[in-house]
Amino acid sequence: MALAIEARALRRTYRTRTGWLNPRRVEIDAVRGVDLDVRRGELFGLLGPNGAGKTTTIKLLNTLLIPTAGSARVCGFDVVTQTREVRRRIGYVFGGDRGLYDRLSALDNLRYFAELYGVPAAAQKRRIGELLELVGLTGRERDRVEGYSRGMRQRLHIARGLLHEPEVLFLDEPSIGVDPVAARELRSTVAGLAATGTTVLLTTHYMAEAEELCDRIAVIAGGEIQALGTADELKHYAQGRRVLEVEAFGVTDAQVQGIAALPGVRAAGVEVIGAGQVLTVASEAAVDVQSDVLRALDGVRLGRVTARQPTLEDAYVAIVNGVDRPSVAVAA
Amino acid sequence: MRLLVVGGVIAYRALFNWARPSMFVGTLLIGPLFQLLFFAYLGRQLGVADDTFYIVGNAVLSATLACVFGGTIAVSNERRWGTLGHVLLSPRPRTLIFLGRAIPYAGNGLLIAVFTLTAGSLLLGLRIPASALPGLVLTLAVGSLSCACFGLTLGALGLRFRDVWLISNVSLALMMLLTGVNVPAAHLPEWMRVVGGGLPITHAAEAARRLVAGDSLAAAGPALVREVTVGVAYAVVAAVLLKIFEAESRRRASLDTL
Amino acid sequence: MRLVRLVARGTLLHVKQMSRSQFEIATALFVPLVQATLAVYLFRAGSEPHRMLEAAVGAGMMAVWTSVLFGSGGAIQMQRWQGTLEMLMLSPRPPALLIFPITLATAVTGTYAMVATLLWGGLVYRIPLDIAHPLAFVVSVPAAILGLGMFGLLLASTFVLVPNANAVNNALEYPVWLVSGMLVPITVLPGWTGPIGAALPTTWAARAVRESVTGAGPVWPSLGICLAISAACLVAGAAVMSYVERRARANATLALA
Repeated sequence: MALAIEARALRRTYRTRTGWLNPRRVEIDAVRGVDLDVRRGELFGLLGPNGAGKTTTIKLLNTLLIPTAGSARVCGFDVVTQTREVRRRIGYVFGGDRGLYDRLSALDNLRYFAELYGVPAAAQKRRIGELLELVGLTGRERDRVEGYSRGMRQRLHIARGLLHEPEVLFLDEPSIGVDPVAARELRSTVAGLAATGTTVLLTTHYMAEAEELCDRIAVIAGGEIQALGTADELKHYAQGRRVLEVEAFGVTDAQVQGIAALPGVRAAGVEVIGAGQVLTVASEAAVDVQSDVLRALDGVRLGRVTARQPTLEDAYVAIVNGVDRPSVAVAA
Repeated sequence: MRLLVVGGVIAYRALFNWARPSMFVGTLLIGPLFQLLFFAYLGRQLGVADDTFYIVGNAVLSATLACVFGGTIAVSNERRWGTLGHVLLSPRPRTLIFLGRAIPYAGNGLLIAVFTLTAGSLLLGLRIPASALPGLVLTLAVGSLSCACFGLTLGALGLRFRDVWLISNVSLALMMLLTGVNVPAAHLPEWMRVVGGGLPITHAAEAARRLVAGDSLAAAGPALVREVTVGVAYAVVAAVLLKIFEAESRRRASLDTL
Repeated sequence: MRLVRLVARGTLLHVKQMSRSQFEIATALFVPLVQATLAVYLFRAGSEPHRMLEAAVGAGMMAVWTSVLFGSGGAIQMQRWQGTLEMLMLSPRPPALLIFPITLATAVTGTYAMVATLLWGGLVYRIPLDIAHPLAFVVSVPAAILGLGMFGLLLASTFVLVPNANAVNNALEYPVWLVSGMLVPITVLPGWTGPIGAALPTTWAARAVRESVTGAGPVWPSLGICLAISAACLVAGAAVMSYVERRARANATLALA
């Protein structure tokens, strides 16, 4: 089967200098040996915590960065040496509101990039019109971008990324900072693109987004791919587990560590939500840890306690935690 | 007094963040020197005035960039970095704090002016009588200081108006024209001379020229006194503006946002 | 032809983007007006009171250089700040073709100041606009702008390689005015500056425009030399630009963070 993206042992090291009077060289391995195959027409998700190497991976694939080692091909062209061929075939959209000419209109922005991508003059008008329609900016295209909301900018970014009808689209956290309604429209746009045969590589923080959209998902952490498969396959990482959620007020780090060390507990973590905390404890399915956990939380004011089946998010947490704390081995 | 100097030095280090060594050399030393050469050769070409006129005038003028921008930065960057509230809340006399801010920039300006004068004289072969040197240094110092006070006034305006850098930029260009440093005052129309008389540098340049010509410090004295007056006037204006804007911003709770 | 179209559209876009910054436009208009006034009084005070138009045109050319120097020197940094540098570089075009429209745009916006100084001279100082060769003037000004824009590409590409390019920028405004004889040809300069001046496209641009104003010499040879040197700068700039792009991809300096 034809591959849209293939990466082999992709590695990228950043060298930075810190210190002013006494400069020291620091090397950071952002991506350490990524192998990736994305089929044509696939919607492929890249999940991972901040600093996991998602953006670096995307920039290695879309020619913005040269790998320190390893190789990658997009549509069969080498990303280091055949940049022109690769760039012709890819679109890149990143989250956030930068990267546009703010003092100009959407139309100005799109026209220039259409020209840059060699969209034939005769076809430009129609293509831009279609895209404005697709991303819902029709009627606002003559307004200056500086007056746009974040969601509108994001949609303009997408329109720009699609001007030349790319075969492969890289979407780097496109839903960041976008309100829920706009995020939903965005998802349907992306799904629509994939349906017409565009290969999409999407990075995101949002599990629901990944689960809804992606054919396959890779979880990346610590610069390496930790797990790869469909959403259902990934849930196996959390299979054989039970998840206990406890609302609490004032759990200490020491207590969390104590809980994590309890027999039968695979992982424990705390998230601050509003005024309180939510303690999530994953355990072996065969062991009921609830009474041990509650005992460990003696003296802490508690709220609702619920036990549930693992979700993709739990699987993700299990995978990512496995990287941070090797002692909690990932059982697949 | 200690508050004045120490507070000023700390703020100088903290706020003069563009003063990296290369930036300092390129922008503040080489730039003014080329400016001096430009006008000196232009003056020679057009037969306007001799080298001495341009070397001395532009050396005095060379302090303006550092002093005017410095004074502006001293006040307006405090707001940019959100430290203005803390400074204004400090129990120490605020006027003194801000005047203290100006002193290091003036010192910097003096350094630049001395460098420009020395380098310009060496390059173009101007001999300055040794007896004139102490008076010249004094003149350059007075000029730098009054320039920094002018900068403080602009900086205070910066608390009220957003485009203070536009004002600073245009002021610098205007000083090149109105202080009579590059066009002899006699050739400027009356109103320009009057405006120039109210700007720093004008009188310091006149005093410096007299000293270089061999006049005594006493002969240069009146011009020097006028320069001091101009500087003090700007310091007072800056202090008054700061007080007004402070009171106004307290009333409107817009200290860091206006 | 498509190339011309691409450069034209790019230049138009960047001119629009630059022209809508009130601060930049105000600075770029006020300061040259003050300089033009200074030039007028200098000419009047000196031995050349009859060469007023030259003073106004020369001040305008000075402003064009300032615009190219600061605009082009900082062009890449500016795109990086806006986050548009990556977007530009991602397009399937040689990097020089992406940056050249920007440097050309800085030269074009510099002409606002030229128009302003001519108007200012006419309205305030009653300097009549009697240009010796109007046709040559109308051709040589845009051609000089084009030339300086090409020169700008070399500045833009080399300045990203220089640490603290801002410092170099700030130091280079006056020397080029001086050596190129922007306001008036300086014959009293030391002899060693001659070859430097002759190698700079700014010298020939200023000369061509001046010759069209005064009729003191044939415009076309100067303009031809200006464009020839500029074209060489464009080629050199394009080569440096390709090197810069590759280096930036290796060193990860395209993005801001």
